[in-house]
Amino acid sequence: MENVISVKNLTQRYGRGRLIYENLSFDVPKGSILGLLGKNGTGKTTTINILMGFLKPQGGECRIFGEEITRLLPQSRSRIALLLEGHVQYSFMTISQIEKFYSNFYPAWNRDAYYGLMEKLRVSPGQKISSMSNGQRSQVALGLILAQNADLLVLDDFSLGLDPGYRRLFVDYLRDFVKSENKTVFMTSHIIQDLERLVDDCIILDYGKILTHQPVADLMRNLRRYEYVAASADEPLPDNIEGIYSPREGHDGREFYSFLPQDETRRRLAEKGIAALSLSSHHVESLEDAFIGLTGRY
Amino acid sequence: MATTSHTPHMTKAILAKEILKTRRAFWCSLGLTAFFTIYAILGINRVITTHGVEHVWLIMLMKDQTFTDSIKYVPLLCGLLVGLAQMMPEMQQNRLKLTLHLPCPQNRLLMTMLATGFGELTVIYLIQFVAIGVYYSRIIAPEMTCYVLFNTLPWYLAGYTAYFFSAAVCLEGKWKRRMILALIAAGVVTLYFIQPMPGAYNGVLLPAIVVTLLLTWLCIGSIVRFRQGLID
Repeated sequence: MENVISVKNLTQRYGRGRLIYENLSFDVPKGSILGLLGKNGTGKTTTINILMGFLKPQGGECRIFGEEITRLLPQSRSRIALLLEGHVQYSFMTISQIEKFYSNFYPAWNRDAYYGLMEKLRVSPGQKISSMSNGQRSQVALGLILAQNADLLVLDDFSLGLDPGYRRLFVDYLRDFVKSENKTVFMTSHIIQDLERLVDDCIILDYGKILTHQPVADLMRNLRRYEYVAASADEPLPDNIEGIYSPREGHDGREFYSFLPQDETRRRLAEKGIAALSLSSHHVESLEDAFIGLTGRY
Repeated sequence: MATTSHTPHMTKAILAKEILKTRRAFWCSLGLTAFFTIYAILGINRVITTHGVEHVWLIMLMKDQTFTDSIKYVPLLCGLLVGLAQMMPEMQQNRLKLTLHLPCPQNRLLMTMLATGFGELTVIYLIQFVAIGVYYSRIIAPEMTCYVLFNTLPWYLAGYTAYFFSAAVCLEGKWKRRMILALIAAGVVTLYFIQPMPGAYNGVLLPAIVVTLLLTWLCIGSIVRFRQGLID
């Protein structure tokens, strides 16, 4: 299958200091929706900045539509709809001015898609974007993104500032639009439950590394939440065991998350002197649970 | 596959965006220029009323005075105002990324932006230049009018210099470099005001025009650095 985005061995640090990630590699095939998840400061926006050519990576290679991103042609840029973090737009323009402005740059511009979403805002076409609420500004930015009718949508924290009703509306609209038109999406969001309804594949980043990259359906099927009662109060938590994530002391016992089957999990615990006789495994209930299970609760 | 190349529509759209962004600064600059130009003219009129036009001639010929000191720093202020009004919104929340993502060649995009500011300043400066020329031609000899007008040229160059430097300072992503650029700007602009005698810059105006236009490269350099992520 044709890859719209191809990232190979990407390495990046904050300045000369902390490692964001090393040898990050992934592909985004045409027609798929990839969600990049991670806590604050794990490098989600940095990745988008690199992909859009606003940041030179310290190592590795990124290609979009087969072109090296630092040499992306204007024709290729016209095929990418970019939503910046904070839904930044030209706030000195009015709703109609900004639509008219962008329509000059995108040959497949869909005016109706933009004004269709604007109707729901109950604002006049002459209203200045700077005079709108944060949520309304976000909706204007999303309307512009959809109107571009681009082949690739890059959305950085798209749900920021949106109320639940509009979030649901946008997620459903985007999903239908992407699937019916065979579009590709690369997105981040702080609201994981939105992504669960939307993304096909997800990458979960932790500080300095990728925790997992797999289809959401596989993640939900394979990740297990394990519970057990400790043999004694001074029995150590299963920290630093490969394949075991976010161990913690809960109200009714101890819990952790793992992709490992129960037998293998029990064996690894036993190696560390943890008997875990009452070990039980449970499916994760949501992508948010899976995310917190893998990244921890801070 | 949809394709685009740079079209006149894109240039028009960028021009419209820049005019929209700078229109307040443009009208403020025009008002400021009109105010100080009228003030200078009224000052000469007052001298003519009290001492007669011969007195104006005498002072101009004997003391090398052109009665234009009150407008000296106005083009500089206009250049700063337009430059900041145009480029500061681009840097708020890194909005420049939106502009750089537009599907047209980036150097041409930046040049269109700079041409807008340059054009607005030219309109303001021309109005003032013509107003001064018309007024002086009614009270003094054509040769002396040319002399007065020629002496205002370094101030307009200072205005353009301030515009290009303020644009480059805003577009630059690193604070350290911004400070260095601002200091260089202050030094270069000061050069246009250190010689108080009229005619002192006559021999260097042409090279100064070339250097001023070359300042656009500073802005291109800042954009290149921005794209490499060299920002604080």
